[in-house]
Amino acid sequence: MRNKRVKLIIERFFYSLLVLLGLSILIFVMSRIMPGDSARMALGESAPEEAVENLRITMHYYEPLYIQYFYWFKNILHGDFGNSLVTNRPVLEDIVRNLPATFELATFAFLFMSIAGITVGVLSARYKNTWVDNLGRIISYFGVVTPSFVVAIMGMLVFCYLLNVLPAMGRLSPELIVPPRITGFITIDALIQSNFKVFFDAVKHLILPTVSLGLLGVGTQARITRGSVYKNMKKDFITAAVSYGIPERVILFRDLLRPSLAGPISLIGLQFGSLMANAFLVELIFNWPGFARYGMNAILQNDLNAISGIVLTMGVIFVLSNIIVDFIVNFLDPRIHLIKERNE
Amino acid sequence: MLNRKIKVLAISLCLMGILLSLTGLGIAGSILRYASPWPVKIDPGIGSDGQALTAQVNLLDPLVFPDTKGNIVPHLAESWDVSPDGLTYTFYLRPGVKFHDGRELTAEDVKFSMDRLLTMGGGSAYRWSGCVQETEVVDKYTVVFHLKTVYGPFFSTLPLFFIVNKGLIMENIKSGEYGEMGDYGKAYVSINDVGSGPYIIKNYQTGEYLLMEKNPNYFLDVGTAPDEFKMVGSNQPVLVKTLMKNREIEMNSKWGAPDLYEALAKIEGVEIAKWQNTGFLYSYRMNTKKPPLDDIHVRKALSWALDYDAAMQLVPGSVQAIGPVPGHMLSDKNAFQYHRDLEKAKLELKQSKYYGHFDEYPMEVIWDSSPVMEKYAMLLASNAADIGLNLNVGETTWSLLCETVSKIETTPHIRINPMAAEIPDPAGLLKQQYHSETTGTFNQLEWLLDPVFDKMIEETIATLDEEERLEKCREALRYIVDLAPSIFVVECPEIHAYQAAYMDWPSAKGESMPYVEYSNSVRLIKIDDEKRKELLKK
Repeated sequence: MRNKRVKLIIERFFYSLLVLLGLSILIFVMSRIMPGDSARMALGESAPEEAVENLRITMHYYEPLYIQYFYWFKNILHGDFGNSLVTNRPVLEDIVRNLPATFELATFAFLFMSIAGITVGVLSARYKNTWVDNLGRIISYFGVVTPSFVVAIMGMLVFCYLLNVLPAMGRLSPELIVPPRITGFITIDALIQSNFKVFFDAVKHLILPTVSLGLLGVGTQARITRGSVYKNMKKDFITAAVSYGIPERVILFRDLLRPSLAGPISLIGLQFGSLMANAFLVELIFNWPGFARYGMNAILQNDLNAISGIVLTMGVIFVLSNIIVDFIVNFLDPRIHLIKERNE
Repeated sequence: MLNRKIKVLAISLCLMGILLSLTGLGIAGSILRYASPWPVKIDPGIGSDGQALTAQVNLLDPLVFPDTKGNIVPHLAESWDVSPDGLTYTFYLRPGVKFHDGRELTAEDVKFSMDRLLTMGGGSAYRWSGCVQETEVVDKYTVVFHLKTVYGPFFSTLPLFFIVNKGLIMENIKSGEYGEMGDYGKAYVSINDVGSGPYIIKNYQTGEYLLMEKNPNYFLDVGTAPDEFKMVGSNQPVLVKTLMKNREIEMNSKWGAPDLYEALAKIEGVEIAKWQNTGFLYSYRMNTKKPPLDDIHVRKALSWALDYDAAMQLVPGSVQAIGPVPGHMLSDKNAFQYHRDLEKAKLELKQSKYYGHFDEYPMEVIWDSSPVMEKYAMLLASNAADIGLNLNVGETTWSLLCETVSKIETTPHIRINPMAAEIPDPAGLLKQQYHSETTGTFNQLEWLLDPVFDKMIEETIATLDEEERLEKCREALRYIVDLAPSIFVVECPEIHAYQAAYMDWPSAKGESMPYVEYSNSVRLIKIDDEKRKELLKK
């Protein structure tokens, strides 16, 4: 079994590299054929043409596309994404600075989405066609049809503007000092350093952005979990568990949940990547200093180097999260692996 | 059972922690917080937009400073001389001014700042790249600018020339495209303090905010100024409204939509400040080389067709523009102004060589950046339809616009253009918009290429006497209005919402300086922290 898992890891890793190579070619070509003069954008509208031309030459602007790609890929292998044409700092530095904020937000949104979505789904399945199921349905549909920025603005109006009980922007109150960086997650860094004031303040700042970003996923997770759980509820092993007198709560969240999670977990892997990529509107509204917002600014300002770096980073995140999901699904439901073996 | 109790206890503790932290945390000292567009480019060699200048005006110092009438007063330079031929400007620096790192500001720093600006070519370099030949250090406190040609408005451009710390930048040079100067410190200056100004960078979170603290060793009195100045990176309307209501910001930027200011004005203690001398002038820029706009009659027809009253309604407080230069900068009693007259518009069209064939020449009016610009674009399209001209309204982005205007064929027919007069220099403004050397840039979509105008404006700029120069400007302005390369729509005031209940802002009381973003010189603003706390209790 262990050898099979190792083989699976190597296989996934190899295919991931191919995917990332293809992605790098795609994003490079797309960013280079995008309309807009990046050199002009970088130096400003009033910069002399000579300075702009020098920068174009530095960027290999006039070389064939495959030559440009060669230079670019060579640098990528050395961890050099080039300098941002807007900030004039290494793109890698900007990504490292901005990524943890989005990662933290996406992680909290992911946890919220998973826990709330699965809980609502399980309860909806258990109390099918009752008011509990209907309430779950309302929550699901609301989450699915309402864009994240609408939830964000509504939440801000109610909890920040009218009630003034939650902060409207940023990761931390201005009076508090950001703890020394260990993981880049303010919550985790504060906990590690036993700075509970900062921890609770950071959590408070995360509430609205997390709910805004994660609500869509709650809806989707709830519906899929509901379907999956309901299907398994009719199985013999559940009937046996009930006949043994095992408490219902234990059956629902222990015996029934694990075999029902293959579908939701597969979706979660894709959703985590989406959370990272789609966080830009929420980050914009809450002035969250994240990677997604940095990416959006890069696109609007035609910052080619930053765009390429960001998309590749997102590609790596997507690929990694899918690999992790594959393993989790395999762990939760070994039958998937057995079916594959039988087919071979 | 025990596990369940532990879980309940843990959850309760967490909730308590959150609830405890719901109580407001106080701010020590007075602070002025400004909701600003983002990103902020603090390097004067790179950034010259509104938010960049706001930061630079507070972090750096210029040689001279403007007063509320636009007169130039000493600042880093105590005095100056101008040679009779207008080609040499000598500045005598104030001794003992220190940069934030403790180094003394000398003539070497002034030379370095100009050389750096002109070599990099970004930021505000365009103001001097055509006129400054060389900067010479005579002694420790004397610096001379040698000009290539006489440039009458040279002096009025200097409040936007900021001095940077040569020693500190040279210590942090990296490899780059400027030969032995490497990257000229671009990477370093983009996030670090190289100034001598009234405020020092305390914390710069590039994705979130720029926090500055008062410079206790500033060479001018800053005793009554706020202890801190924070530029918060958000222009999002709901967030700005929330922050303003909760007294978490003291003022917002000038880029809000009219309905945002209406909503902010309803908040207790918040007032709307307006002033005209750094407002926007909206005009429709027309490509005079692209059919049918290469025919002056078509351009004049559109000028007659526009509903100027409706245009003024789009931004409250607007007045009709009299030409490409704001009225407060260049008053002209003889200036001609169009008004809506559909009969005259149709008469002009009949005189056009394209009459009866306009369908063969589809036109577009494009907009970018803000919803107000979209409304102006739609207004023109609607008014053009009244005289039988079909205009398609299209949206573009700034980066795409910069590329499309580089060639006549790809430059759009019409673009609605907001122009802020950054300095009180009508001649420079006219040159920037219509001289042949600015064709192919976003400054000029008209492709005017008029040698008569080029000669006229070059002679104007070379005139040292201010009154004489202004009179020549008026002639040049009338010439342009007659050619009708653009439709001059409205002059809008610069508008800000601010916490009038506890903020004493000279610009809001009619004392604004006619230099863009100088109204955000925080050392001139006072914050009454006690009044702020009283308001918060309500």
